[in-house]
Amino acid sequence: MSFLDYVSENSTRISFLFLQHVQVVLISVGLATVVSILLAMVTERLPKTRKAALSITGTILTIPSFALFGLMIPLFGLGVAPTVLALTVYAVFPILRNAVTGLETVDASVVDAARGMGMASRQRLWRIRLPLAWPVILNGIRVATIMVVAIAAIGAAVRGPGLGELIFRGLSRMGAANALNEALAGVVAIVVVAAVMDVLFLIIGRVTTPRGLHA
Amino acid sequence: MSNTVTSLRTAGTANRDKDRSGWVLPVIAATLAVGTLGYIGTASLDSIEARALTTDVLLERLFEHVSLVVVSTVVVIAIGVPAGILLSRPGARYLRPPALALANAGQAIPSIGILVLLALVYGVGFRMAVVALVVYALLPILRNTIVGLQQVSPFVIDAARGMGMSARRILFTVELPLAVPVMLAGIRVSLILNVGVATLATYTNAGGLGDLIERGIVFNRMPILMAGCLLTIALALIVDWLAGLTERRLRPKGI
Amino acid sequence: MLDISNAPDGTTDAMIRLTGVTKHYEGSDAPAVAPLTMDIRRGEFVCLVGPSGCGKTTTLRMINRLVEPTAGQIWIDGQDVTHSDPDQLRRHIGYVIQQVGLIPHMSIGQNVGIVPSMLGWDRKRISARVDELLELVGLDPSVYRSRYPKQLSGGQQQRVGVARALAADPPVMLMDEPFGAIDPITRERLQAEFLQLQERIRKTIVFVTHDVDEALRLGDRIAIFAEGSRLAQFDTPLEILTNPADDFVRTFIGEGAALRRLSLLRVGDLPASVDSGEPVDLTVGADETVAGVLEKMLMAGAERVHVAGGATLTVQDMLLATALPKHPALR
Repeated sequence: MSFLDYVSENSTRISFLFLQHVQVVLISVGLATVVSILLAMVTERLPKTRKAALSITGTILTIPSFALFGLMIPLFGLGVAPTVLALTVYAVFPILRNAVTGLETVDASVVDAARGMGMASRQRLWRIRLPLAWPVILNGIRVATIMVVAIAAIGAAVRGPGLGELIFRGLSRMGAANALNEALAGVVAIVVVAAVMDVLFLIIGRVTTPRGLHA
Repeated sequence: MSNTVTSLRTAGTANRDKDRSGWVLPVIAATLAVGTLGYIGTASLDSIEARALTTDVLLERLFEHVSLVVVSTVVVIAIGVPAGILLSRPGARYLRPPALALANAGQAIPSIGILVLLALVYGVGFRMAVVALVVYALLPILRNTIVGLQQVSPFVIDAARGMGMSARRILFTVELPLAVPVMLAGIRVSLILNVGVATLATYTNAGGLGDLIERGIVFNRMPILMAGCLLTIALALIVDWLAGLTERRLRPKGI
Repeated sequence: MLDISNAPDGTTDAMIRLTGVTKHYEGSDAPAVAPLTMDIRRGEFVCLVGPSGCGKTTTLRMINRLVEPTAGQIWIDGQDVTHSDPDQLRRHIGYVIQQVGLIPHMSIGQNVGIVPSMLGWDRKRISARVDELLELVGLDPSVYRSRYPKQLSGGQQQRVGVARALAADPPVMLMDEPFGAIDPITRERLQAEFLQLQERIRKTIVFVTHDVDEALRLGDRIAIFAEGSRLAQFDTPLEILTNPADDFVRTFIGEGAALRRLSLLRVGDLPASVDSGEPVDLTVGADETVAGVLEKMLMAGAERVHVAGGATLTVQDMLLATALPKHPALR
């Protein structure tokens, strides 16, 4: 059976896993975004804590993902929970780093002008600094998303949701008919998810970037 | 797209160079390793657990893992550095974008995907696992070699040419030493990627510490699982630490 | 094609001779350097000056063949080097650029010793030469030889750049805006020091700059390039200020040519006026510039000045003499 035949015959299952994959990625990145932005804001006046947070989340990136997934099992069992949690942990660093850089590199004279107009620090954050830092933060989210799309494939090793299942099933049926087609379908679909996400972020960027910041 | 992931990891490691005191990582790693081994030695294990966690087995898995990482990293350097040098020469201007795109594509595929596809098409075992690791880890070294050579100041090269240095001498005494920091950062990223992907090599019968994690899941034995996870993490931290040390040691003075 | 109008009168003592040298880049209609012929004498300090894009840097870089000429010949010290081995050629020509280009991972001493070591000098000789050169450019070798480039200021780096170019004692030095990136105060000091240095070492120097004042100050002769790499005038500073060849040169040297000449003329060269026997307020040396003497007179409130071993001059004399375009003293 050719690859395309295989795909069309199993389109229901593939598209189900595809949506699952997208879902799990979006949930993880969403959680990581909230955590990261909160961390960035909370550590605004705690430079040492901020450094430590970047240091720790950065080090987590060097941890092999299979080990991190495994580590979640005693705590959360198999399935969706360990997958989402591990992915969230991975996604924090790129977002946090960009949130910190974004907020720190907002033109000081603009913030100073806002102070001069009598804006309170909270107003300055919400009305001046976050909007100006947004493109940088969004890029961090994009990077995290694309990274997590690939890592999520390994989630299937802990019975997690998503397209990784096709890869692992293909492997487990090595030698059987369609084993390669199945694994290949999983790999190709994951690359497609990444591409779709990339385009999605391009659009989100266009829509949400304050007009004056467009090049 | 994985471009961004690699550069992210590079930035991550560079970022941590300054503020992390040198001893924190090895101490954490040692604590993890010693704690795991201590637990294995003292806990009451059932027969499956005991068989999976003998010293011999652990050493063998560790050896397999390290071999995978070392061999594939050596191969990646042996391919990536010369290829990067060739692609950075003016004559290869037109080859650069397609070559980088190809290396990029290799990385865009999830690591487990490369491993499994290669295993399904060409068979399982150590060699195929090395091939998969090499395909996956080639990009950072290739790209950083090119970037490292390109960021050498054109004025330094102009001055060197003006003094009558031959192109070859300029490459070896000026360009390569000045590219070393960037190249080393790329090698470090490749190394870390290799440690990670090698944990998945168990699925294609190439062993490694990932084997313990897999068994832990399959037999539902937490001691095996935890031993695998913690030892893998300890190994990753130590490799990263050693890579960082080497990186600093090899950085030429004056830059 | 061959234009030898710029060749010095009858002398064949050309250290650098360009005959019909042309640079044509592929894909561009106008040549970067149109056929150019010029002679530069041994020990002469020649400035190439002109607006950006006039081909002065390309011309400079064709002399050591960092840019290969499309046509024409380059002669150095009587030898046609147009087709000789470029690396060998460059080891015997000093080269200094605006961005200095010190090699960052080599110490100052190593940087200065690069060319000698390529020429196979032994270690002792190189080391002695490095110390000698660092002294020459005003950097204490015991302090600076083991430092790295980034530990030096821009001015210090360019001193090292000059030392490095002089390392193998080349007869010819090519300099591309060497002081262009240095702050004005340091630049003036380096210019003055470099002139003093040149008094001692008497190299044949080709010096590219876009700054007319720098060219007037440093050059024995100045080649003014116009757009399209036309050599508009190639002459001494005084002659250029006195008799600009055309409107382009006149515009390019800008306002105040007459005043600038005052700082190039020496009082000893001025014609003596009738000695009226009136008292002299001030005595100056014959070597001093008219501008300098005028400044002294203004400060002292003097009306007349005695030039040592020569005439007595009034303010009027000096101003009139400099206004005479064809005065014999100015030729």
